[in-house]
Amino acid sequence: MDMITLAETLTQYFFVVLSAPLYAGILAKLKGMVESRQGPSIFQPYYDLWKLFRKVTIIPAGSGVFFKYIPYVIFGIYSLIALIIPVLVPVPIYFTASGDFLSGAILFSLAAFLKTAAAMNSGSNYVALGVSRSMSFNFLSEGTLITVFIAVSLLTATNNPYTTNAFLVSHSLENLSLAHIFSTLAFFMLFFYETGKIPLESPGVQELGMIDEGLNYEYSGKLLAINRWSSYIKQYLLGSVLLNVFLLPWGLFSSSPYFLLDIPVMIAKWVLLILIVLVVETTLAKLRLFRVLDYLATAFTFSILFLIFAEVIP
Amino acid sequence: MNSVDTVVYLISSLIAISAFYIQGQEFIVSMIRGQSVQSVLIAVVAFIIGWQERSYDFFILGALIIVLRAFLVNYFLQKRIPKEKVYLYERKVSLSYLFLLDLIFIVISVFIIYSIAFSGIVLHSFLGNSGNSAVLVFPLTLFFQGLFLIASRRTTFTQIIGYVEEENSLVLFAMFLLPIPIIIEASVFLDVLALVVISSIVVLEKFTHEPVEELRG
Repeated sequence: MDMITLAETLTQYFFVVLSAPLYAGILAKLKGMVESRQGPSIFQPYYDLWKLFRKVTIIPAGSGVFFKYIPYVIFGIYSLIALIIPVLVPVPIYFTASGDFLSGAILFSLAAFLKTAAAMNSGSNYVALGVSRSMSFNFLSEGTLITVFIAVSLLTATNNPYTTNAFLVSHSLENLSLAHIFSTLAFFMLFFYETGKIPLESPGVQELGMIDEGLNYEYSGKLLAINRWSSYIKQYLLGSVLLNVFLLPWGLFSSSPYFLLDIPVMIAKWVLLILIVLVVETTLAKLRLFRVLDYLATAFTFSILFLIFAEVIP
Repeated sequence: MNSVDTVVYLISSLIAISAFYIQGQEFIVSMIRGQSVQSVLIAVVAFIIGWQERSYDFFILGALIIVLRAFLVNYFLQKRIPKEKVYLYERKVSLSYLFLLDLIFIVISVFIIYSIAFSGIVLHSFLGNSGNSAVLVFPLTLFFQGLFLIASRRTTFTQIIGYVEEENSLVLFAMFLLPIPIIIEASVFLDVLALVVISSIVVLEKFTHEPVEELRG
């Protein structure tokens, strides 16, 4: 067994899982500062998770097995994705060979599907509302996710995200190619939808604006904590793909002792992304619910259009 | 592909996006302004080709596009928008549905027509140096988007804008394809301007038209 690869694998996995709630905390803190409040501590998501883990879990009467066990499965799926895409170390690690870009996209879809199935299994009317909302939007977002990944793989004629990352680092001008610019734009729009940011979904449990939160309605205690944690990991994974493959592929170290430097580099990149998100979140108003579909249709149009142009234009 | 090619491709794709913007608007004013922006982008393409080919015709053409399409057509159309609030925008524009239909329409029509008719055409030396005529996809896309705009909306204003968009696509097509004598281009521009002026008077009589209404007899 190669010790360096093992060390890289363990570093990447534990960094993703343990640091994922931090970025939500930083965003909340910065948002508070922009709104002239003190804002919560950047470690508030950890305190929340810790509190929820110690609380009693209430299982609604009439709910099934899915409701109880699927949150763990979803956590496992996101853990697997964390090992197959370049979210920290830009060289292949253990488990990388088990999937490519497309399988990453399909695993995201699987997690989304399982989450809705588990939520439906609770048998609550409010949850059914959230499920119907998220299903009527997800059909466009999943399409965009898959198309964007295909558009990027057209650059290198391979579906391996590590190759794409290395190619973009060594060929800087390709970052300005038509396919890359517009798939970045589409993925950026998708990132805001998938992570529930403000033009599409207001965070918290207000019934009017919730799409993804509606699925967590019946969860409490430990199960809610695991669901929340999975959402943080999902946000980290999508954001890191956006940073490492689309926006800023540079700056990661791959050689043996230096890969630990990737941790501050990734945090710095994330702070940059959070600043962009902060500007968008504090300047735009939330869209009305049925306008979300228009937003996603625009993202989908971008991705399809530039998939076509990338194929036609030399 | 050299850098000038890349710039031309980028601007051409912005033209396609501006057509999507027009397709997605409810308010007539923003559609008219979108059309102006589209014309300015086409003029920029004309300037780039003129600079590459060292030809004054393209500069005159670009200036004509800006004056006639971007300003005069815009001015006449905006003047004719009725003041009543009900006429300022078109209701029930379901953007997601229109975008998806538009995409399907473009993919089918552009690819069939491009692959059958235009794929063997030789272009200007600097655009066609890689031996293909792929840039012609952009004017074709714009043409079918104009067509789809006319078919998908009821407001007469929108249909006029769809027509102007089609004319824009023909100008773009002519610029990429072969140098047309400037006098012909100028007369076409004036023709379209006159047509817009006349049809904006028609708007006063009937604000909405179903696409096939007039064919029923």
